[in-house]
Amino acid sequence: MTAPPHLVSVALKRGRFELDVALAWQERVSVFFGPSGAGKSTLFEAILGLHPATRSRVRIGGDWLEDSETGRRRPTWQRGLGWVPQEPTLFPHLDVEANLRFARPDAEALERAVEVLELRPLLGRDVRELSGGERQRVAIGRALGSGPRALLLDEPLASLDVTRRANVLRDLIRVRDALELPMLVITHDPDEALLLGERIAVLDAGRVVASGAPADVLWSQAVLPLSEALGLENVLEGRVGPGEERRLVTAGGVRLTLPVATAAGERMSVGVRAEDIVLAVDPPGRISARNVLPARVTRCEPAGDDAFVHLALEPGGERLVAKVTTAAVHKLELRPDTRVHALVKAQAIRRLA
Amino acid sequence: MNGGDVLAIAGLTLCIGAAATAAVVPVAVAVAWCLVRRDFRGKSLVRALVTLPMVLPPVAVGLALLWLLGRRGPLAALWEATGVDLVFTAWAAALAAAVVGFPLATRACEQALAAIDTRYESVARSLGLSPLASFFRVTLPLAKRGVLYGALLCFTRAIGEFGATAVVAGIIPGRTETLALGIWSRVQLGEDSAAATLGAVSFALGLTAMWAGERWLRSDSP
Repeated sequence: MTAPPHLVSVALKRGRFELDVALAWQERVSVFFGPSGAGKSTLFEAILGLHPATRSRVRIGGDWLEDSETGRRRPTWQRGLGWVPQEPTLFPHLDVEANLRFARPDAEALERAVEVLELRPLLGRDVRELSGGERQRVAIGRALGSGPRALLLDEPLASLDVTRRANVLRDLIRVRDALELPMLVITHDPDEALLLGERIAVLDAGRVVASGAPADVLWSQAVLPLSEALGLENVLEGRVGPGEERRLVTAGGVRLTLPVATAAGERMSVGVRAEDIVLAVDPPGRISARNVLPARVTRCEPAGDDAFVHLALEPGGERLVAKVTTAAVHKLELRPDTRVHALVKAQAIRRLA
Repeated sequence: MNGGDVLAIAGLTLCIGAAATAAVVPVAVAVAWCLVRRDFRGKSLVRALVTLPMVLPPVAVGLALLWLLGRRGPLAALWEATGVDLVFTAWAAALAAAVVGFPLATRACEQALAAIDTRYESVARSLGLSPLASFFRVTLPLAKRGVLYGALLCFTRAIGEFGATAVVAGIIPGRTETLALGIWSRVQLGEDSAAATLGAVSFALGLTAMWAGERWLRSDSP
């Protein structure tokens, strides 16, 4: 097997805070997840070469940017990393277009970014008059316009309100799918991690506590206390079925009734909280829940008085996790391979992007 | 004293103020940048030294300059070798004005630079700009107002400078006689109305410079 294209191994000390991280990964989109103060932004700044570090080995997309073992080190301005930090990001003394053109941009990359992020109507605007979501789009566009080898997004949605989050999240998914660029994304939001990431590294107090496939890691027993506290829920993606504007069809063939009608064919991501799912062993009769999803139990994990029941939805086997009481698990005799029906009220489904 | 004399004195004053300001601002920006963005030993001592000309009696500053520029000072060899003699010239007056204006300009630049989020500079670097390029394209434009305010303070302080100038440049009509020196010498000679005329011109110049500067700096132009 060839060496993974991306490698970050950093140790540094700032005041009392110590960061010691060693990661290597193959996937194009990697999410760095953890509570605030975990060292995620500091890790990005180290990848950018903005801070002196005691150990610093950074390889992105197969290219070494720094290797403290061999002593080679590219300065920040020669690393070609498109960085979108948390606010403030845009230069207030320049208008939108001048911000986008700040870096003597790669004309083709900039044109592409303007198109994907729909920035053309904003070009002449004063950056101080932009909304939070618009500012974030311009900042992402500016980073992309520099023709970077990778995109580094630091909490891209943190400063936005709920409706703008959905819009910018959709933009990010579009950017991810339209460009072949490696992406590193910092977030403390499990929905974002599940929707954007192909891989996740969980940081806490300057250390990596878990890494792997996002859903596996976030639902793992070791990470659950943290991810649940930060709002972990089930995330399902699909398209609104043709002729059925309240029906979402996932890649695995699950058909979900939505609380509101949406344009047919539109791509959509929705969230369902584990505690909003009811499990029934026998097929329910007349019932108000609009979604009765046949599934198979894959595992039951106790968590105090409750248990997380992992399900594989039929027919495609997509993961759904229900949180029920331990008493219910015993009463229904739930164990791996038990066939159940997962009941989800349409009203419990929330659109994420 | 006729109108031409008044104009000549005012003109010389403005020239000396402009020369002093032009010389001070780049140095003030550089020193302020080091004080705000760099950590080094003895920083508070440097800060104290920068402020010193503001709190010393201007006459003492003049004496120090006289010593530095004189043929018996530490730079005597330099003056000897180059044949330059600045003492009792308008250049000495400009130097004196620059030294007393320097702390005001530096303090204003320091405040302006400290108010800039360093993340803007980091972003500029990530976008491919060297530290020097990001200083000129991001830091300086963002600090523009503060720097210009510092220049204004330095200029107005310079055109009002008296004590240090008198010591190092003397009061030579037509060569080093600025408004402040002119007023003093007229008062000494008992020419009260001429002193009052020059005083009124000083007042008008100072007020105009501050008023125009304040208006422009407070306007919304980015």
